[in-house]
Amino acid sequence: MIVPAANAERSSIMRSFQIKRASPLVIILSLVLLALVLPPTFFLFNVSFHETNIDGSLGARTFRFYEQLWSGRFFLPSLYNSIIYAVCSAILAIIIGTVQAIIVERTNAPGRSLVLFATIVALGVPNVLYTVSWLLLLGRAGPLNQAIAHYISPEFVINVYSMWGMILIEGISFVPLTFLLMSAVLKSTDAAFEEAAMMSGASPIRSFWRVTLPMALPGVCALVILIFVRAIESFEVPALVGLAGNINVITTMIYQSSHSSGRPNYGEAGAYSVCLISFVAALLIWQSRLSLKAHRFQTITGKGFRPRLINLGPWRWGAAAILGIMFLLVTLLPMVVLLFTSLQPFYEGFSIEAWGRSSLENYKLLLAPGSFRDSIVNTLILGTCTATVVVPFTALCAWLVARRAPGAMILDQLATLPLVFPAIILSVAFLDLFVNAPFAIYGTLLSLIIASSMRFLPYGIRYAYAGALQIHSDLEEAATVAGATRWVMFKRVLLPLLSASMISSWLLIFLTSVQTVSLPLLLVGPGSEVMAVTLFDLWQNGQVTELAAMGVVWVSLMTVVSAAFHMITRRWQLAR
Amino acid sequence: MARRNALYAKNIKKDINRGGVMTEKNRTFIWGAASLFSIFFTLGSSAASAQDILMNRSPDRQRLLIEGAQKEKQVTIYSAMIVNQALRPLVDGFMRKYPFVRARYWRADTEEIIAKVSAEARAGNVSSDVVEGTGIGELAAEGIFMSPYYSPMVADYPERYRDPNGNWTATRVSYFSIAYNTKQISKSDLPKSYEDLLDPKWKGKLAWRIGTSSGTPLFLSNIRIAMGEEKAAAYFDKLAQQKIINFGSGSARTLVDRVIAGEFPIALNIFAHHPLISKAKGAPVDSLLLDPTPATTATMVVTKGTRNPHAALLLVDYILSKEGQEILAKAEYFPARPDVAPLESLSSVVPAIAGVPENFINPEKLLKYTESSSTIYQDKFR
Repeated sequence: MIVPAANAERSSIMRSFQIKRASPLVIILSLVLLALVLPPTFFLFNVSFHETNIDGSLGARTFRFYEQLWSGRFFLPSLYNSIIYAVCSAILAIIIGTVQAIIVERTNAPGRSLVLFATIVALGVPNVLYTVSWLLLLGRAGPLNQAIAHYISPEFVINVYSMWGMILIEGISFVPLTFLLMSAVLKSTDAAFEEAAMMSGASPIRSFWRVTLPMALPGVCALVILIFVRAIESFEVPALVGLAGNINVITTMIYQSSHSSGRPNYGEAGAYSVCLISFVAALLIWQSRLSLKAHRFQTITGKGFRPRLINLGPWRWGAAAILGIMFLLVTLLPMVVLLFTSLQPFYEGFSIEAWGRSSLENYKLLLAPGSFRDSIVNTLILGTCTATVVVPFTALCAWLVARRAPGAMILDQLATLPLVFPAIILSVAFLDLFVNAPFAIYGTLLSLIIASSMRFLPYGIRYAYAGALQIHSDLEEAATVAGATRWVMFKRVLLPLLSASMISSWLLIFLTSVQTVSLPLLLVGPGSEVMAVTLFDLWQNGQVTELAAMGVVWVSLMTVVSAAFHMITRRWQLAR
Repeated sequence: MARRNALYAKNIKKDINRGGVMTEKNRTFIWGAASLFSIFFTLGSSAASAQDILMNRSPDRQRLLIEGAQKEKQVTIYSAMIVNQALRPLVDGFMRKYPFVRARYWRADTEEIIAKVSAEARAGNVSSDVVEGTGIGELAAEGIFMSPYYSPMVADYPERYRDPNGNWTATRVSYFSIAYNTKQISKSDLPKSYEDLLDPKWKGKLAWRIGTSSGTPLFLSNIRIAMGEEKAAAYFDKLAQQKIINFGSGSARTLVDRVIAGEFPIALNIFAHHPLISKAKGAPVDSLLLDPTPATTATMVVTKGTRNPHAALLLVDYILSKEGQEILAKAEYFPARPDVAPLESLSSVVPAIAGVPENFINPEKLLKYTESSSTIYQDKFR
């Protein structure tokens, strides 16, 4: 009985790989993506096969970067570390994020509405700062170790410069991302199934394990891939935490061999990324096979759909406590450390004596006339434009992929590609592209917006894909039968259904795109600076206390902007 | 729409295949109006060749420069100096002096500056006029992306702070020392020489910066120059036993902050004045000069193909002048100009004042040593 259906499924998958029969819409979208993705990809391949001259131009053809990568004595240990590190931090982030999302989206635990707020605050903290504040917290002179040394024994002092330290910090820094993505998945999963399970006598945990999780599986897979690749690619935590403990992962291994002499040397990083690209492509194909039975996950159908909340009874206080602990870990602790540090003339751990030294000196320095004036507007334009370009565009792509439109698989592949570009190579590639453009785009904010949109495509598409998978094609068919054109159907049926995940996707991309440093550093010229560069400037030249003050100012600003956006979209959603 | 996009994608692709140079035909085909714009720019550069202007030593140089700059109206500097305390005051001071020139700056670290300037040079789309930073003189030594220039100010600088061919002039000097946490290490315990660093009691307690040429490579180069290759190699073998902590991704300043926080007791090869600035605020940190103390300079060049050579020279003159160098001194830099003293509070780490021998490594020498020193790091310390 199932066999013909399965065959049909399989052929529909095959169809999504067929580019020849692609619809005009798919072709247009692929071309836009190609225009964005191809130049840096080409550059990437090129640098990986050529020596880089001192003036940045490409020299003789070589395979040595690939050979070095495989044959170096650091390769195998680093690869091993990379995998442990990426898998564990992805698992940690997904567990915490999922528990948070379930409590928030599915139960009546008190304090749920605060989680989104806390998440936005945490997302607003630039990556480097987040890592630094964790190191200040867990480091040798941090309050935890001070307490251990004082109350227990100096022998039990923990060493954060270790694998578990890396996993903990990286994992926790991904929680806001996993929470938002899992919420999007859960929001678009019909709770009626869980209710049915619970009415049949299943416990909440069992109903989650047997019903919610399997239903959300494709969304969860999209998420796992994203987080895993991000962790494999991540640099800040391995560099700040791992290197000091002599733990090498692949990214820091490459950093060590290519950055020591101060000359341009992109070959090895390029070769690594080329390998990673093939690996990610394989992952994506595997994922699409996994969601072979995609229709099973389409839980938003034509019938009345309204996510319902589970009444936890007295257990809701337990759930609230869990949320509280997570809030403490993900947002409160790092923020308190930042705030404390920002008030200090220098950071020397927590003590009463240190409290006495508190002053607003760092803020005075930071908010001196001229510091931000120019960059604040640019920053907001950059974030808003990037998110506004990426979100609808990827929503459309993701819908086509989820519907297995002929040739649509290529959209997913293309849009995910930028995930594996090392930041420095991406910036150099775009620099090369824009500086050679025959029209006056080099050095402008527009060039940065284009590059940044490309950089954040993967987040948009993973996010939207999770949402789009679960919308049953019934609804679209109904609209089409009622005489709606495709465009009207997309606008009136799909967009509203996808809006929840699109809004958080927008926030996510806004908050991450404004804090990226490497792209604006190379792409903008005098006069179009953005705040992230000021932050980087402080990171390089300033003291950690000034950096913390900048972090606090940054987070406050981002929170205000996000809250405003949230309120506007909320009103818009309610008005509909 | 689809076709246009296809065309665009194809053009970009072709473009890159050809090494990034679009043909004139393509330009006019797609972006006719834009190319007119770029032709205007080419016409803008004046009749006298830029090189003649830059090397002009005639008595009416200043008058010619001002006249030329009035037409150019703008100048751009790429620099690694800190914005709030140095770069912005410098540019503001310059514009007060020459109100008809709009001076703009772009700040980045040397690595990014080099990437940007060389990409511009390769594309023939030069946007900077003056470039300043550490590591810039090294490139100038290889003849990349700069034009030799003459400035009457150069005569005031000692010979070692300028290039005999006029390619670069030093703007500020950096001294490198050891930072130590004064609560964790008492004065009597301090290492007194590089040899003392080999004492087993320092095992696992030393940290240094990797991934930047002023970190590990400079530390190693200094010792190679001071001890000679053979003795240095033996020294490095022993030093490698100390299991130095590799501090990645973070500036020298960040490393000093971690010493203050008590994470690492000793940091090698950091900028000598950073600990002093924090010490003045009461932080438990100090700077220790060892014999010899390495010193390097940040240097300034004029970009090859500058569109505003007159204004560029005015800016160079200004930064090298007493007034410009005083701004740098106030920003806690060590001015290269001999008649401008560094801040009183920082003078204790100037080797000449502290009575510690200095090992000045000029850009040519630094270039010669850096590559091989990184190899030593790779082989022995990774």
